[in-house]
Amino acid sequence: MEFKLEAHRIVSISLGKIYNSRVQRGGIKLHKNLLVSLVLRSARQVYLSDPCPGLYLAGPSGTPLQLPAEPAAGPSAGWGGGEPPPPPAPAAGLETEPPPAHPAAPGALRAGDAEPATTVTCARDTLQGGEAAAGGAGDQAGGSDAFPEGLREARRDCRCPPGVEDQPGAAPHGDCCAEDEPPAPTPLGPRKRPGAGAGGCGPAGRPAPGSTPVKKPRRDSEERPGRAEEGEEEMETGNVANLISIFGSSFSGLLRKSPRGAGEEAEGEERGPEAAEPGQICCDTAVLRDMSPWSTAIEAF
Amino acid sequence: DIISTVEFNHSGELLATGDKGGRVVIFQQEQENKIQSHSRGEYNVYSTFQSHEPEFDYLKSLEIEEKINKIRWLPQKNAAQFLLSTNDKTIKLWKISERDKRPEGYNLKEEDGRYRDPTTVTTLRVPVFRPMDLMVEASPRRIFANAHTYHINSISINSDYETYLSADDLRINLWHLEITDRSFNIVDIKPANMEELTEVITAAEFHPNSCNTFVYSSSKGTIRLCDMRASALCDRHSKLFEEPEDPSNRSFFSEIISSISDVKFSHSGQYMMTRDYLSVKIWDLNMENRPVETYQVHEYLRSKLCSLYENDCIFDKFECCWNGSDSVVMTGSYNNFFRMFDRNTKRDITLEASRENNKPRTVLKPRKVCASGKRKKDEISVDSLDFNKKILHTAWHPKENIIAVATTNNLYIFQDKVN
Repeated sequence: MEFKLEAHRIVSISLGKIYNSRVQRGGIKLHKNLLVSLVLRSARQVYLSDPCPGLYLAGPSGTPLQLPAEPAAGPSAGWGGGEPPPPPAPAAGLETEPPPAHPAAPGALRAGDAEPATTVTCARDTLQGGEAAAGGAGDQAGGSDAFPEGLREARRDCRCPPGVEDQPGAAPHGDCCAEDEPPAPTPLGPRKRPGAGAGGCGPAGRPAPGSTPVKKPRRDSEERPGRAEEGEEEMETGNVANLISIFGSSFSGLLRKSPRGAGEEAEGEERGPEAAEPGQICCDTAVLRDMSPWSTAIEAF
Repeated sequence: DIISTVEFNHSGELLATGDKGGRVVIFQQEQENKIQSHSRGEYNVYSTFQSHEPEFDYLKSLEIEEKINKIRWLPQKNAAQFLLSTNDKTIKLWKISERDKRPEGYNLKEEDGRYRDPTTVTTLRVPVFRPMDLMVEASPRRIFANAHTYHINSISINSDYETYLSADDLRINLWHLEITDRSFNIVDIKPANMEELTEVITAAEFHPNSCNTFVYSSSKGTIRLCDMRASALCDRHSKLFEEPEDPSNRSFFSEIISSISDVKFSHSGQYMMTRDYLSVKIWDLNMENRPVETYQVHEYLRSKLCSLYENDCIFDKFECCWNGSDSVVMTGSYNNFFRMFDRNTKRDITLEASRENNKPRTVLKPRKVCASGKRKKDEISVDSLDFNKKILHTAWHPKENIIAVATTNNLYIFQDKVN
């Protein structure tokens, strides 16, 4: 548990560093940002791999039991949107997945032993697979493996009750992402509009392993033909979904801090209890508003 | 201003410093005074000039810092001195020359330079050189620009004294000192897809004797030795120096602290030294799988890596240097401490560069940092170290035991006690 907290904290610090590096004199320092992205990746790995009971705490009404039952249209549409169909990851035992009625236990179990999602790349693919599967066909049954499955549940938990009708607040949040993604290509161009804030869930500053280091050097590099830019933006859109899903609970923690204090900068430290009850917070509109500085940060990359 | 580089010239008579404001200040050692034999000559300011100015890259909307990243002296070939100084993007060759005579007795000009009315000239005379107060002039002789997309971190002059290399995060270029409009790319580690970037070049240096050999270090803690005779583009190394990571020390920050911040060949050319965040390693060029010596600079910081990450100190790039005989190596630390390691006796010492604690002409007192437990008298505890006072740049006189140590704003020059 402590590792998770520390990882959480490190992730937020790292994001803050990346955000601040945009405005420093002399241009973005490739070396430093590469190192920060490596730390971010390690922290994320630890964060995701450390099974934390807190994550499975339900929101007011959403329970893990209910979630998989919902097709979770809103957010999954958002998450699934813009992503290429994922390769079915090590989907071994999924065909025999237990009925949605009791996903919690096996879900928790599976997330726990999903460690084989070793390399982060793999994780990203499987996550994409997870999301797209959720969005596409009948959720869990989709050929994604245990890891994203368990994650998805965790995510739903945290951010969610996105799929739960009686919490409409969640939907807008998910939709926020969904809406923002279609217009992504324009506002998301990091080079074109580095600061275009409300572009919302802009390109991921970090998650996808290989992509993280990319974003910073892109600003430095002189060779970026327009074509590449489009391609990168698609990728970024996909990464956005990952970012949101992966940072679901992180964001909630951050967001909870913001109504209290300035909270614009990421340096805010995460505290454990915040991670424990993220579900409700995500739905606040205040949260949505405060989300944009983060989006700005991430979009820039 | 904040000193960003320190370098002795080949004779040790001159010491150049570069700062964040783009200025270069050169100190000259006084000629030894035979009467005052208790000390070697002191260093006094010899020349100051503005090497680089801030620039703006309009294409990328980026400001180019004028901070001097590195200075390297050329060996002296005539009365003038030459040095290369570089900022993030542009390298300049400066000529520093003395003028101690000036022509007097012009026919058409007054001594102050005003032109005389030709009608008042009644006799002709031949102008002659007369002594004047010494004036040191610095003039830029070559400007090597537009060859680097990323930030230049190293320059190194080849032992042929005709070519030099410049290294940025992803590429190394080879230049001829006389030719400014082209350079050859000799190392390129930029991946086709930047998303796959995993390491950058952090330092590069030519071998002191073999003009075909150079090394470059990476952010992953590896050093590659390349031979320019093997191919035009030295992407494939001849040797790869890497020490396997100790799994028991793994943490979030393992990758950051293994990044090499400086690499220096020994004067003999037989060894090279690398500096990573916590240690100094000496490598035998004939053994690639591990260093022959490892010295811990400030191991007590290993448990503080998270805070050092937060306050950005973990990204500090410390340099290291050899003494003239390759028997002692030196590097900086925090709290204005610097460390020396004697390779033969295996003894090490920590000293402090500060005015408050050291009066001029007194012997420096060794310092000690107490990592944990009871703090003895005179020891400093880790928590009271000042991480804003860091010594990143040090230099050792090539022949004598004189060292230059740069704190943030000040330069300290220490020398051996001469009996």
